[in-house]
Amino acid sequence: MKKRFDPVEGRNIEIIEAVVNSDEVANLSEDCKFKIRLCVEEVEENILGYSGSTWVEVWTEREDNLLTVGFRDGGIQFDPLAEPDPDINAPLENRSIGGLGIFICKQMMDTVDYHFENKCNVFIMKLNVA
Amino acid sequence: MDVSIEKNGAKTLVKLVGRLDTTNADQFQNDIAPLMADAAPDFELDCTDMEYTSSQGLRLFLMLQKTVSSKGGSMVMCNMKPQVKEVFDITGFSNIIKII
Repeated sequence: MKKRFDPVEGRNIEIIEAVVNSDEVANLSEDCKFKIRLCVEEVEENILGYSGSTWVEVWTEREDNLLTVGFRDGGIQFDPLAEPDPDINAPLENRSIGGLGIFICKQMMDTVDYHFENKCNVFIMKLNVA
Repeated sequence: MDVSIEKNGAKTLVKLVGRLDTTNADQFQNDIAPLMADAAPDFELDCTDMEYTSSQGLRLFLMLQKTVSSKGGSMVMCNMKPQVKEVFDITGFSNIIKII
């Protein structure tokens, strides 16, 4: 599946559903689909929220048991993986929500990768769906 | 996401049904806002039918827990589905919110 959402504003759920209902994802286990839904939402919130892009291209690929979900947007350069992880052992009074979304992606996916290419933010996450 | 709020004496039972995500987190925040005014909150959040939460939902649970703790109240989340519980576990939220 490969789709371009232009404009992108207000289409969060449409993007999530496009990924979850894609041929590569639709028949996976509920557990895999839960993780993918969650991480797509977190990427949308964190990357598109910061980059300010008016469009995004989203794709899914499957090679054997390895699922790839990719995002490309044309906003300002923003590397979410450069941000420090939240302190998940901090006591309640010191806990904040910053950085939690991408941290969830790092924990739930097998790999996450960011690079800036041809003036676009590219974020790729991979999950073993066996 | 559907939220129903039921008062049972001093205890407030909040039932969460569906997905808590970026599209309805603001509505959920509005739904629970009146509860923050309680002098000594005693909340039970029934998560039996909560199918999903993203970090947008975690943000609100954190806010609720901070408010409850600052007032000397109590809050517990019950019957969480394993997939949802995993989100609380990997983010360390299981350590700061009581889950049974």
